[in-house]
This record gives sequence, C-alpha cells and structure tokens, in this order.
Amino acid sequence: MRLELADYLIILVYFIFVIGVGFLIKKKIKSSNDFLTSSRSIPLWITSLAFISANLGAQEVIGMVASGAKYGIMTVHFYWVGAIFAMVFLGVFMMPFYYGSRARSVPEYLSLRFDEKTRGLNAISFAVMTVFSSGISLYALAKLMETILHWDFDISIWVSAGIVMVYTFLGGLTSAVYNEVLQFFLIVLGLSPLVIISLQDAGGWDNIKALLQPEMTHAWKYMGNANDNPMGLHFMSLIFGLGFVMSFGYWCTDFLVVQRAMIARNMGDAQRTPIIAAIPKMAMPLIVVLPGLIAITLMQPALLSKGYRIPTTANGELDYTMTLPSMIAHYYPTGILGVGITALIASFMSGMAGNVTAFNSVFTFDIYQSYFVKNKSDRHYLLVGKGITVVGILISIATAYIAKSFNNINDFLQLVFGFVNGPLFATFLLGMFWKRATGHGAFWGLVAGTAAAAATHGLTVAEGKGGWIAEMYTIKSGMGQAFIVAAFSWIFNFFTTIAVSLATKPKPDEELKGLVYSLTEKPKYHEQKWYLRVVPLGLLLLAITIILNIIFF
Amino acid sequence: MYKKLNDLQFVIGLFFSVIAAILLLNVILGNNVAGRLNTLTGAVFLVFGVLMMLIKGKQK
Repeated sequence: MRLELADYLIILVYFIFVIGVGFLIKKKIKSSNDFLTSSRSIPLWITSLAFISANLGAQEVIGMVASGAKYGIMTVHFYWVGAIFAMVFLGVFMMPFYYGSRARSVPEYLSLRFDEKTRGLNAISFAVMTVFSSGISLYALAKLMETILHWDFDISIWVSAGIVMVYTFLGGLTSAVYNEVLQFFLIVLGLSPLVIISLQDAGGWDNIKALLQPEMTHAWKYMGNANDNPMGLHFMSLIFGLGFVMSFGYWCTDFLVVQRAMIARNMGDAQRTPIIAAIPKMAMPLIVVLPGLIAITLMQPALLSKGYRIPTTANGELDYTMTLPSMIAHYYPTGILGVGITALIASFMSGMAGNVTAFNSVFTFDIYQSYFVKNKSDRHYLLVGKGITVVGILISIATAYIAKSFNNINDFLQLVFGFVNGPLFATFLLGMFWKRATGHGAFWGLVAGTAAAAATHGLTVAEGKGGWIAEMYTIKSGMGQAFIVAAFSWIFNFFTTIAVSLATKPKPDEELKGLVYSLTEKPKYHEQKWYLRVVPLGLLLLAITIILNIIFF
Repeated sequence: MYKKLNDLQFVIGLFFSVIAAILLLNVILGNNVAGRLNTLTGAVFLVFGVLMMLIKGKQK
C-alpha cells in the first residue's frame, strides 16, 4: 500500500483538527473538575456519541472485522446480545446511582457504597489495566502502520502518542470527548464506502448467503450444539457468559465508558446517554462485521476473479487481523485511501485517549487524593491531573515497547484484564440492589471472583491456551473459554459476597440513601414526553434488538 | 469565526468539508484512478459537512 500527497494531506488535516480541538478547549479549563470530569457540562448528543466512540477503539474496529471473517454473522452477538441489553440496563437502573451519588468515578461510588479497601482494589486494578490497554493499543497502531505502510515503528509510536498527549493535556476529558465524536463520524463515514463497494463486488447479501456455509450467515440456528457453529459455543454459554457476565461487567461498570455518561448536564441526560448510544451501536455490525463476511465471501471459488484475498501468516494460515487493512488497500484509491487510513488511526487514538482520560481521573481522585495527598487546593489537583496525563502516556509508550519485545505480553495482559473485569458486575449488582451487602463482602467477593477466573483458565484448554494448572477440560474456541472463565468468576464473586456480607455488619440505612435501589427515591418520568423517558425508549430498543436477532436467526 | 470554532458541530462540519475539498480537488487535478469513488465520497462528505455547519448556525 502506497500513500500519495492527497492521502498524507488528509492525515495531516486530521492531526491539525484534533490538536486544534485541544487548544480551543484549553481556555475553558479552570479547575480539576473541568479537566477530569468536564464539570458535568457536556450536551447529550456528545456524551452519547463519545460513549460509543470510547469503545470504538482499534480492537473493536479491526478485531470485529476479523471475527466477522472468522466466525461469520455470529459476531453480531457482541452487539445484539453483548451490548444493547446492558446499555439499556445501565441507563434505566444504574445511572441514577452513579450520577445521583455525585461520585466523580466508579471507584468513588464503591467507596461511598462499601468502603475504602474495595475502592482501592478497584481503582488500582482499573488504573493499571487502562494504562496498559492504552500501551497495547499504541503498539498495535505502530505495528499496523509498519506492516501496511512501511512507516517506522518508533516514529509511529511517538507521533501518535504525542498527538494524543497534546490534546488530552490541553483540554483534558472534554477535549478527549470532543475528539471521540469527530473520530466516530470519521470511522463511520470513512469505512461506509468500503462496505458499499465491497458488498456490490460480493454480489449483495443474497449472494453472500448463497456462497457461504449456512452456519456463517445464521446467528442462532446452529447454536444448539457447540460443534455445529464456528465459535464452538452452546447458546446457553453465550447468553450467560457474554450476554450477562461479560456484557454487563463491561458496559455497566467499566469507568472508561460510564465516565462518558457521568459528565452529562443532568440526571435525565446521564440516563439517556447509554440508551441513545445504543442506537448507533445496534447498527455498528454494518460497518465492522459485514466487511469480514464480505471478505471471506470474496475468497470463495465463484468470486476469486475479483482478486481479493485475506493475507496469510508465515504458517500459511489466514491472518484475520489484516482483513480490514487489506480490504482498504484493495478497494480504496488515492484520496479515499487517506480517509480509510485516517479512520484506522482515529480508532487507535480514540481508544488510547479514552484510556488515558479515565486513568488520570481515577489516579488523581481515587488514588492520589484518597491515599497520598488530601486537602490540597484545587489547583494542586489540576496540576496533578495534567502531570498524570503525561505520565500515563509515557507508561503507554513503555508498554508498547515491552509488547514489541515480548509478543506474549499482549495475551497475558488481556487475560489478566479478563480475570479482574469478569467478576465486577456481581459486586455492583449486589451493591446497588441489596442493602445488606457489606464492604467486607464486596472486597472478598472481588478477590474470590478473580481467583476463580484464574483457576478456571488454569484448568481448561482452548486453542492451546490455558491449562497451566491441569488440563482438565477442553473447550473448542478461545472465545468460549473466555465466556466460561467470566461465568465462573461472576458466580464465585456473587456467592462469596453474599456469604461474607451475611457474616459481617452492614452500613446503616441512613448512609445508603441514594446508593441502593430500595433506599433511593425513584426518578419521576411521567412529566416528560414518552420519547424522552428512558423506560419506553429502552423497551423500544430491546424490541428492535429482538427483531434483529429473529431476522438473522 | 473563532466563536464558531467553539461549537463541536461546526468543527466537525468544517473538518468534513475540508476533507471533501481534498477528495474533489484530487479528482479535478487529474488523479482519475477510480475518480468516481472519490467524487461520490467527496460529495457526500461535503453535504454532511455543510449540513453540520448550517444546522448549528440555524440553532444559533
């Protein structure tokens, strides 16, 4: 793939705009709250698009296209099972506690609801995870640019990290959020032409269905038996592992996305943020799953004359992660090629900036201010927040270089993140809906859940991974293993939290008002028009999601 | 102009208008390899960009 002047110009214009946004926001930053929480002043349409864009990082865009090619239409389960339901639940049931408690972060909510040790455990694990995720994202960007454009690895790392640092340092969370919205439009509009022309090339959806094996174009039909579908999953594992544990664990408790709803102007907008975001999320498979299906269709004998092939690895296997870049190279001429490459760069930057801004909020409020330096001036915490932004970027760069030297570190870190994230939703579910849950229960539940996740991984093997304690059970796919690990971690956390809570003393009801469902005044919706109320909106979205699942059954 | 730059909708509209201009200029100035795709995409970006800027202007 070779870029020309027009392509470089488009990339340059994008860099100028994202840095320009940072400069424009800079003069509005007066306090630590402006920098780290946007002072809860962001309009609904921006929080909603930022909510979805924070999740539209490289893993999402490139990874889902790769999964589309590998697993077929079953990949839509990550959206229509693994996202929409949890986003609606977050908006209707959980945002009133996050927003209403005036907590500035998810760990701070845990501090108010439970105690400092639960907050500390969550804050430290989250801070470490986000900054390493940011580094892995940076590594993946540089590696991709090196592979497809033959750009220098070091220059790619330092230029990309430098640009993210400039705009997050200048404008903090607001700058990151504004750029996420720009990045959202760029990714969607930049990749839409690719979908349209490649779909035409593949002969349309009917031809895709005719040329591929039926299990590649049916989302549910072949899930009655794990051996009949490309993911190797039974539908119950999918519904509990992905649809409940992993999905709710991510969308309802990960501060990276929840933070985008917490900066809305008022409670109503905070609740509507994930629900409005669910609308484009529902349509996102058109941009990130369909191209994968098209790519694998174009490799069928009847369409070999089209000249497209998914690249192969040194072992001769299909390199699915290169599906999207290779399609861009195949279909996009100079000019729009620059748009496609910029969309890829935007997806990496969006993921990195999201991680860095979540990291600096949690570090400043939940670690530095809570455990190290209390009761200093607001200006002090503003400076710390800015300093931590730079530190976060530098750690990300270091992580990217470590990832370059030790290939396995990516898999290892993703694995550890899974162990920590898997059980979290049980803690929040019990914390918000069972007033008897205690701080000791929450803390030991999290520890037990994480240990159970590690043990389950150590006792199962899938695609050569896991089984480091004993190879007791073989699972067909790595994805299936991830769902089962998450399910066990959730169950262990849930029951450990209940058992320890029943044996320890709960907080008095007075201290739990606004933090627990049964002790909190319910928001009044009846004064608003139906399309502004979260419950009818949420139900409508759930109905559409179910219809989509039926159509592609 | 500077005040308008503080509106995200205007900034997004301006960004897509500039990108559209580059795509269309690339076609006009002779790079005709698959010029149709660049023209169509440029036109769509231009309409989107101008609409984003106009909608914001109308709201004001």
